[in-house]
Amino acid sequence: MSFVFSEVPHTSIVRWQKVKDFLQSVDLEMSEDVEIFVVAKEDDRIVACGGLSGKVLKNIALDESLRGEGLALSLMSELLKVAFREGRHELFLFTKPDYQEVFESCGFKYIEQAHHQVILMENSYNIDLYKKRLRKYKHTGDVVGSIVMNCNPFTLGHRFLVEQACERSHWVHLFVVKEDASFFTFKDRYRLICEGLVDLENLTIHEGSDYIISKATFPTYFIKDKRQIDSLYTELDLNIFRNHLAPQLGITHRFVGEEPLCAVTNEYNQQMKKLLARPSEAPPIEVVELGRIEYGGEPISASRVRKLMQHNRLEEILPLVPPTTYALIATMMSKEEAK
Amino acid sequence: MSKKLETAHAGTLESSDAFVRVIPVDAKGIEIELESSVEEIYGDAIRARVLETATAMSVEGVKIIVQDKGALDYVIKARVQTAILRALGEAEPDWSVL
Repeated sequence: MSFVFSEVPHTSIVRWQKVKDFLQSVDLEMSEDVEIFVVAKEDDRIVACGGLSGKVLKNIALDESLRGEGLALSLMSELLKVAFREGRHELFLFTKPDYQEVFESCGFKYIEQAHHQVILMENSYNIDLYKKRLRKYKHTGDVVGSIVMNCNPFTLGHRFLVEQACERSHWVHLFVVKEDASFFTFKDRYRLICEGLVDLENLTIHEGSDYIISKATFPTYFIKDKRQIDSLYTELDLNIFRNHLAPQLGITHRFVGEEPLCAVTNEYNQQMKKLLARPSEAPPIEVVELGRIEYGGEPISASRVRKLMQHNRLEEILPLVPPTTYALIATMMSKEEAK
Repeated sequence: MSKKLETAHAGTLESSDAFVRVIPVDAKGIEIELESSVEEIYGDAIRARVLETATAMSVEGVKIIVQDKGALDYVIKARVQTAILRALGEAEPDWSVL
């Protein structure tokens, strides 16, 4: 039997729809962020496909009648070729636990699972390197806190949260979400956080990684407007945090801001309380939800600042952010006006 | 002599073939990572062949990852050579060292 392989880019609407139909026929929903699919056809009928989204391989599926190592491995050869050609060598993939072995034979290693329904694998040992690097920053104490933040952009609300955490902890590790999928770039977000917290002494600010709220561990976080909350991915992200990252730093607490407005973040907070405390080999982590500070009767949040930017109301942003953030916003807005 | 390398690959994951990746690393020497369907019997022989091939081409500071699906040894050698050539960005091999 011979299969014909081809690539389907997002721009070819008719063929894209055929891939969607095929995925549906094997009970998979097409992920929205796939850029390119590799499909295998037999007599002009799709029998297998796999998608590439950033450095993540997903929606890998085979026709029931042809499931055997042969076609799976041919498909993976083609898919890896495409990924490498795009310059993406360090790859992740999502699959069902049943297929772990198939992908191990393609050079992928198991990282973590969620719900016994989905597993995350990678084709490098990078998580081990990352863990080793983290260990250098370990501080021992009764309360070692952690915070994960995107800060799009850094506001006085974020600052309040970090201050509170630092007061209650011996040491605090702050992780900045690294994925460049927000209005403000990672570089700007990271700089504003460092500048805005320079006076806190028991704090380490870490650049995030692929293993902490990234498109690999938590793809739905970056599709917020869809209001998609996939509890599978929140669990995956939290399991990695608990089992792989937190033990390296001896983290005992995780601080989060109360989230009355954003559904994704709120759901994440609630799940976090449950998951980080349940029995496991790794020690439990206590989740502390901190209230938000308000200004003018409304909580200070990054989304509020972005909305004010859209409406060109610079003077109203002033009381919500530290001077460093304000300076950047003022420059951005004057550039926008000059256009 | 050691030459500057980029990440490259050669081969497929299909039966009787090998999928070889060459990755530059911040370390001396040649690191080999093998996963083979015939590891039990031929694992050491395959490792030796990969090392011999890479050494002959005088590369250093690389990790060579081989997913072997029962390839014959000259197939493995050819795949490793091709992957290294691609990593070096060279089109023509130096036939005298092969």
